[in-house]
Amino acid sequence: MTFAPEHDVPIPYMQRTRDYYLALGYGAYRWAHFDDVPFTPLGTPLARARVALITTAAPYQPGLGDQGPGAPYNAAAKFYKVYSDATGAVPDLRISHVGYDRKHTTAEDPNTWFPLARLQEAVKAGRIGALTPRFHGAPTNRSHRVTMETDAPELLRRCREDGADVAVLVPS
Amino acid sequence: MSLAARHLETNGIPTVIMGCAKDIVEHCGVPRFLFSDFPLGNAAGRPFDAESQAATLELALRVLESAPAARTTVQSPQRWRDEASWKLDFADLSKLTAEDIAERRKEFDVVKAVIKTKQTDP
Repeated sequence: MTFAPEHDVPIPYMQRTRDYYLALGYGAYRWAHFDDVPFTPLGTPLARARVALITTAAPYQPGLGDQGPGAPYNAAAKFYKVYSDATGAVPDLRISHVGYDRKHTTAEDPNTWFPLARLQEAVKAGRIGALTPRFHGAPTNRSHRVTMETDAPELLRRCREDGADVAVLVPS
Repeated sequence: MSLAARHLETNGIPTVIMGCAKDIVEHCGVPRFLFSDFPLGNAAGRPFDAESQAATLELALRVLESAPAARTTVQSPQRWRDEASWKLDFADLSKLTAEDIAERRKEFDVVKAVIKTKQTDP
């Protein structure tokens, strides 16, 4: 019997990130942490449900530097307000503003972090009832307060406006 | 994203998160989580592999409809590679010299300054 290697576990991102920024001379970041977790049972079977897609990807913003696949981390391309766009078209989204793994992946295929095409196929196959007319973009600023008091309520408002029964959230 | 999922769920909209950072999402505490043990940026499946992406979405949908309680995590059976050495590279300090660290700090200070400017824009 051979065990898997010790390092073959989910990457301990919190520990690695803490150690990394401490080595650079910064203080420790505190991640959100709760002892209670809400739960709402599924009320509508998925085959009849209207699904909202929420992403952290950013709309391409010309003039704000390299946002293409493999671009270096581009803080200028960040966005700070919830946005929405049509699910019926193919949006030009980028993830140069977040810390994806630039060594081991390239962000060339948006379908790896934005499953709109696969969700549309699921609608055609009858697996889900429909997509909401819009998907929504969630800002990735590091203020828990802004996320909880401004962005999350705004996402809820838009999901309700669109008649969403469930939401699929995909951080990039 | 975890905070948004919690807020939607609290207000009656069931959610599932598709993600690659298992510890961060579980530390926050979310209702339903499909974890892919892939490099960050591939939460919805393997690049240029529609089959992998469809299988990932299908698993997320199954988590959405069958999770029995909050904090349900399911790990996708898909493997990024046969071997796992890629996992050692994230924020790996062992290969950085003092000069590298100083350079990274300088770069990060620039990033922070950019964010500060944007956040204070009217």
